[in-house]
Amino acid sequence: MSDPRLRARAQQQQQQQQQQQLAPAPPPPPPPPMEPPVVVEGATASAHDQAAVASDSSFKLKFCTVCASNQNRSMEAHLQLAAANLPTISFGTGSLVRLPGPSITQPNVYKFNSTTYEAIHQELSNQNTQLYTANGLLNMLGRNLTIKSFPERFQDWIPGKPRLEHRDDQGFAGTESGVVDVIITCEERCFDAVLEDLHNKGGRMNRPVHVVNVDIRDNHEEAFVGGRAIRELGLMLNEAAVQEMETHGETGWDSGGGSARAGFDERVPDILAAWQEKWPNLPATWSLAWF
Amino acid sequence: MANTHLEHARSLALTDSKYYPSLMPGVLPLIGPNSNASLEVQRFGADFLAEMFASPMWSAEAKQPIALLVLDTLKYYLDEVHDRGVIKGAVQAAASVYPLVYRHTISDPNDIQHWQTMIDIKSNILNRMNTAAPGVRICCVKFVQQVVLVQTPGVIDPRRPHHSDVSLALVPRDHPLLTYVHLEAEGHGLLDRLLDIIHGDHSDALLVTSVLNSLGVLIHRRPVVANKVLNSVLNFNPLKLANSPTTPKNKVSMKAIERTTRALLVNILKRNTTERPNDPNNGRIQHFLERMHRMRQDIMEESSRKRPAPTEPTDGLDPAKRQRLGAQPPTLAATVPPLPPGPVSYRQLFTIDPENAAANFDVKMFQDPALVQQILIPILQSIDEKKLLEATNVVRSRYLTLSHSMSRQQPSVPADEDEYEPDDYEPEDAEQVANRLDSTGDITHVAPAAFKLPEPPRLSPEEVQQHGELAVRRTFGLIGELEEKVKATKGGFNRLAARDYGRDAWITIASRLASRASVGLDDPDDGIKDEYAVKNIKGNLSISDTIRDLLYDYVIRDWKKRIDVAVSWLNEEWYNDAILAQSATTSPKSTTNGLPPPKGHYQRCALRLIDGILPYVAPSDKGLIRLYSELPTLDYEILSRMKTVAQDPERVGLATQVLQYLHMFRPPVKDMVVQIAAELYRENDRAKAKAGALLKVWRPEVLAEAGSGEGGEVKREESNGSAVAVAEVQAAA
Repeated sequence: MSDPRLRARAQQQQQQQQQQQLAPAPPPPPPPPMEPPVVVEGATASAHDQAAVASDSSFKLKFCTVCASNQNRSMEAHLQLAAANLPTISFGTGSLVRLPGPSITQPNVYKFNSTTYEAIHQELSNQNTQLYTANGLLNMLGRNLTIKSFPERFQDWIPGKPRLEHRDDQGFAGTESGVVDVIITCEERCFDAVLEDLHNKGGRMNRPVHVVNVDIRDNHEEAFVGGRAIRELGLMLNEAAVQEMETHGETGWDSGGGSARAGFDERVPDILAAWQEKWPNLPATWSLAWF
Repeated sequence: MANTHLEHARSLALTDSKYYPSLMPGVLPLIGPNSNASLEVQRFGADFLAEMFASPMWSAEAKQPIALLVLDTLKYYLDEVHDRGVIKGAVQAAASVYPLVYRHTISDPNDIQHWQTMIDIKSNILNRMNTAAPGVRICCVKFVQQVVLVQTPGVIDPRRPHHSDVSLALVPRDHPLLTYVHLEAEGHGLLDRLLDIIHGDHSDALLVTSVLNSLGVLIHRRPVVANKVLNSVLNFNPLKLANSPTTPKNKVSMKAIERTTRALLVNILKRNTTERPNDPNNGRIQHFLERMHRMRQDIMEESSRKRPAPTEPTDGLDPAKRQRLGAQPPTLAATVPPLPPGPVSYRQLFTIDPENAAANFDVKMFQDPALVQQILIPILQSIDEKKLLEATNVVRSRYLTLSHSMSRQQPSVPADEDEYEPDDYEPEDAEQVANRLDSTGDITHVAPAAFKLPEPPRLSPEEVQQHGELAVRRTFGLIGELEEKVKATKGGFNRLAARDYGRDAWITIASRLASRASVGLDDPDDGIKDEYAVKNIKGNLSISDTIRDLLYDYVIRDWKKRIDVAVSWLNEEWYNDAILAQSATTSPKSTTNGLPPPKGHYQRCALRLIDGILPYVAPSDKGLIRLYSELPTLDYEILSRMKTVAQDPERVGLATQVLQYLHMFRPPVKDMVVQIAAELYRENDRAKAKAGALLKVWRPEVLAEAGSGEGGEVKREESNGSAVAVAEVQAAA
């Protein structure tokens, strides 16, 4: 009974049965809404831990969020993780930044790594302010330009190259050295692209990186919910990493038991499994890759 | 205090990597063996070393001397410090440092000390590999991958010297410290250890995916081991966990392993298709990916039906089961059915699996040899060599047993045959036996028997007619396709009909077939009442009419361009009619018969054609004039069609032009033309003016008869107009 929808259905059946037992005569009441709103549940849960942020002093995992154009999903997640006080950078895996245009056949296309969010915002508001306000693009770009200055392409990223010039980006603290511990992609295509690109880069740094995919549909609402979920996952992972750091020395090495005994890396699948139970609508995949 | 100092050093190095060499003398004493540093500092130190040697911002050449300085620190961390964080960092740093020290040792064969320290570090890490915590083990995996990378020979391309590619190829054979053979053997051994991991326990997806993700670069940069690695991956079952209980963690792990395998193979495939498009491995990878996809779908389907995973031990001997327990599936030979007793055909000899549908497949069904090639070549490429060998052995052993039994039977063969004539029996010699065996149907001497197709069923008259029509239609399809010949030189009298395969030739053939082929076969009783109606029906079905219909259609479809076709056809008809008429008058048979000469087809066909064309004739179409002038003969009925044309006020001019032209250039029909003009004048008020103008010249008495009251002015105008028309007609002709 892991699926909350089934749980709700079972409850509903029980209620009906009870009512029928009690008073068979009156017709059953109109059923409650079929979908026990998972989204709402998640939203309330994340609203609940809205305040949850990684504590300042301790060790922190470094994150990287990836979607196709480094505009919507990865930026929402970037914002959420940075707001949770976690070091974060973000990328897109597409060949170009693609945004919806006046029609489906006329997308707005920009180059990665050079076109600033501000320039895109400017161009779109000149093009058709009403349209791009209505579909939320201007709002999104307005948010993005407060997070960092331009969309970056994952394949052009040189891991290990210091990112001191990104000092003003949100979530910068901790990402100076240009490497991360966890890459979170927002689409299977991006996940595959990331693994493929890491193969091509050849793993010269000998540094492990957890690549996690969280499937999020590319619209503002889903991106928001997905961002919350990623924030939660990030905090869960970070907590495990902090625990590993705390169990040190002779005692931590040889004694102890349970999950605290296990290190961060081997706990990732468990954490992801637990997180997946909670977010069944965001199918997740994971792999351990190399920089 | 030390910590802030170190942080400062690190941030300085991040601004520019050139500071690393100068920072090291200051940093190492703080983090090294004799520093009594706190755990915090040691962790920082290990991470710092890992980060420094991983940095892409400075070259391997610059790192190499620094690498020698840190070896003692790394060894100390690995030997003395029992902290997971420190060990992880140290192993990562060691993985980056190993190639550097290796290359240093190649260039400086006398530096035993550093190489020995490196060997100590290596053995420490290798000892950990099986026992350490998973987080450390993955770092060991990466270290091992680096060792394999540098201890297997790389590609040496003199055009592209790989300075950064440290490989076994750089090691001289007489190096005092680095023994080529030992390094190579160790490299292979370690590779086997890596590959064992993916074939082992899958419950730890962390380890399996870390190995898979480190194999890509080995395949890419070490062609020597690429096949071994690839074979291992292709023999590996990424969905092994499907057989264990489906806990959430197992689900995550299984998906992780499957997706990682896929990403690795897709990466190899992509690189192969650009670099080595003909690599036979590409097909295998493709096949593996498809199979994995299907298997995953099966598993997903099962799990979505909430069926529990099978808990009973799977049968390791059943190749259909997923789990590989190392046992070989039963060999093919055991499953091959024995040959039936008695003589067998070659087909039976070579058919190993008679149940298989492919055994009954006749390759002759393919008409196109290119198609067979397309199918056959990939099949041959995909044949498993082992299977093929086994199958060959099966056939070979069959053949041997058969030929043995044959040789044993041979002496008895003549004895059997000679039962009926025992008296004059002479033992045959070996050659005779061989000859006889050549002609018998036994397996050893199968002579290809002539194959006779069964007699086709008799065609009914209707079918015959259908097929005939079909043939005719095909001919016309051909005519339609042939391009209209460019007006080439006319052959004049030297021209031969149907001398090439052009359109005109086919038209000639078709029209002669229509007009002449069935001559004399027509029912002589045609038109006489017959009690047997069947005969008449038969007569109507003649092939000539079919051809005529098609010729008619062909001309009508574009009559302006096909006037020559129409004329040559009608000429043929006319000629045939003329010949027939001649023979009718000369042959005594027909005269004695007292029957009228057979009715010709020319007039009928010409009228039909003209009636068909007329609706499409525009007032300015001079083609009609040409057609009329070129028809072999004109009779009153054909000519009177001009009256029909003149009923259209717009085409009165055209009709009179035709008449005028015929009057001028075709004297034999002059009288008939005048008669038609007179009728026009009398019957058609709208044509009166133009016909009158003609008649004024040709036969003024008609005008007088009519006693018309037209003004002379008009007539003069008309005569002027008709003069112009004549000029036009002449130009057109």
